[in-house]
Amino acid sequence: MIAYLRYLSERFVIFVVTIFVSVTVVFFVPRLVPGHPLTAVFSTMAAAGGRLNAPELIEEYNRLFGLDKGLWEQYVSFLRELARGNLGYSIGSFPSHVSDMLRSAIPWTIGLLTLTTLISWVLGSLIGAVAGWRGGKSRFVQALVSVALVLYTIPYYILAIIFVFLFAFYWRIFPLSGAYSVGLRPGLSLDFALNVLRHAALPALSMIVVSLGWWFLSMRSLITSLKGEDYILQAEAKGLSNRRILWAYAFRNALLPQSTGLAISLGRIVGGALITEVIFAYPGLGWLIYNSITSIDFPVIQGGVLLIVFSVALANFVIDMVYPLIDPRIRYEQAGRR
Amino acid sequence: MAEVRVEAQRGYAGELLRNRKFFIGMIIFLALLAVAVTGSLFVDPAQRRTGSFPARLPPGRGAPLGTDSLGRSVAIQMSEAVPNSLQVGLIAAFLGTLIGALIGFISGYFGGVVDAVLRILIDVFLSVPSLVFLILIASLVRGVGVQTMALVIGVFAWPSPARQVRAQVLSLKERAFVQIARLSGMSSLEIIFRELMPHMLQWLGANFVNAFIAAILAESGLSLLGLGPQREMTLGMMIYWALSYSAILQNLWWWWLTPILALMFLFLSLYMIHLGFDEVSNPRLHSQG
Repeated sequence: MIAYLRYLSERFVIFVVTIFVSVTVVFFVPRLVPGHPLTAVFSTMAAAGGRLNAPELIEEYNRLFGLDKGLWEQYVSFLRELARGNLGYSIGSFPSHVSDMLRSAIPWTIGLLTLTTLISWVLGSLIGAVAGWRGGKSRFVQALVSVALVLYTIPYYILAIIFVFLFAFYWRIFPLSGAYSVGLRPGLSLDFALNVLRHAALPALSMIVVSLGWWFLSMRSLITSLKGEDYILQAEAKGLSNRRILWAYAFRNALLPQSTGLAISLGRIVGGALITEVIFAYPGLGWLIYNSITSIDFPVIQGGVLLIVFSVALANFVIDMVYPLIDPRIRYEQAGRR
Repeated sequence: MAEVRVEAQRGYAGELLRNRKFFIGMIIFLALLAVAVTGSLFVDPAQRRTGSFPARLPPGRGAPLGTDSLGRSVAIQMSEAVPNSLQVGLIAAFLGTLIGALIGFISGYFGGVVDAVLRILIDVFLSVPSLVFLILIASLVRGVGVQTMALVIGVFAWPSPARQVRAQVLSLKERAFVQIARLSGMSSLEIIFRELMPHMLQWLGANFVNAFIAAILAESGLSLLGLGPQREMTLGMMIYWALSYSAILQNLWWWWLTPILALMFLFLSLYMIHLGFDEVSNPRLHSQG
């Protein structure tokens, strides 16, 4: 127990330091860029053909972030506002708060990616288990492994582009972009739900197929490495059916490391598929960041970045916290001292 | 002693070339590079401008890979994009591996408080996706060129080589030959460069390829988000322009498919090279198949 607490406190320190270092990087990097951080943003915006009603806004920001004060005071006030969850105002769509914009984008991202991650994890693990059990000699398995390797190697958005061409442009099975049809009012009706599903299908499919490769390969190698274990040999000696040994013995033991992989990728969901959203104009965090980049809306970009950092760090901490409780084989010293 | 070491190195290179994955990967990689470089030798710079060709030509005699809707030849864009993307990979991987190796060496060799601080730092930067910081920086420093972009990506590419090098140094530094070197009065720097480095080179090779892959991935990701070098061509920028002029909806398949295929082959070849490095450096992995 004491070992666990020590391990936990070390992980907690890393969690806090991660947040702290990232926030500090986010604070100082804009100020390393020559010129006043806000006027720089505003002048690029004006140059890009934006509006030029900046002076009052700059005043407002100066006051809000204390930009007229010294660097240290600015830093402290930046931290204080962040701790309150205040990410400031958007420049592109001024009166709206950055936090509100993030809040309306994030459910789309989390919804889409949780669904795709789970589906692809289940499918990939099942196929991988069968392939691992069959061994490397079968031609079919070898072909599957090659396909999985290719899928694992290529960037995830390449398949998205190809799918848009095939399924949305060429065969016209799925809508091209968006999360629901233009003009439809979001609400809790069957029509709306079906519409949302139809729009989510293509981005989901592209991400499921891409990540299938990884889950397949990982489960396959886990099962392959378990095949020589004593308890498998014993089960075989007892005369249990092949199917029973695979699912009740090998698969169950491979499930724990495979679930860690799932937990890690669930933790990375928030920043996980920014570009897929850009390709499908899917109104999640990636699309919001993309639009903020095009309209040079720095506060929103900064808010999105901080949100991704925070959720990744939090997810890592939770995984580190829970994992030793589930798997007693893990040794705390080892885990901290890799 | 020195001759033995040279012999060992040559053996390693020979083994790499005999590795099938490494060999195939290298062939694809060199073929891509050769086509792009020889292509760029025959290009008249004036033809790079928009409107040099009729717009939206399908692949054919006038333009081997067709033209885009701004009247630029896709083949000419490729001859610029492939070397530029590789340049990003090369610079960023070199910088990242260098910084990473340095930090890893210092952390592993000196231990103590230095190690504790550096280890936490490595953990921190490993856990946060570096694309996130890159988005932040690139959205502040607009209109960067290919080299600047490569430098920025490289500065964030150190954590993973740092972790690997640190682990390697930790396992090497207790070995007898390092102890003997220390007892015979070698300085720390001498030990690092003369005794540890030769053992690390193959590890650094695999790390370098890894960082290369990550850098090209980061470049194309940033470009697709609209943060790439706007005045130069990279593979990511080609896809960006194709998508922002809705090449898919206009059925200009040659415009978006060409850079995508090039990226796929590039990643496949690099990944095979990486696998080759891995198999030769860790023969135990090899036997498991």
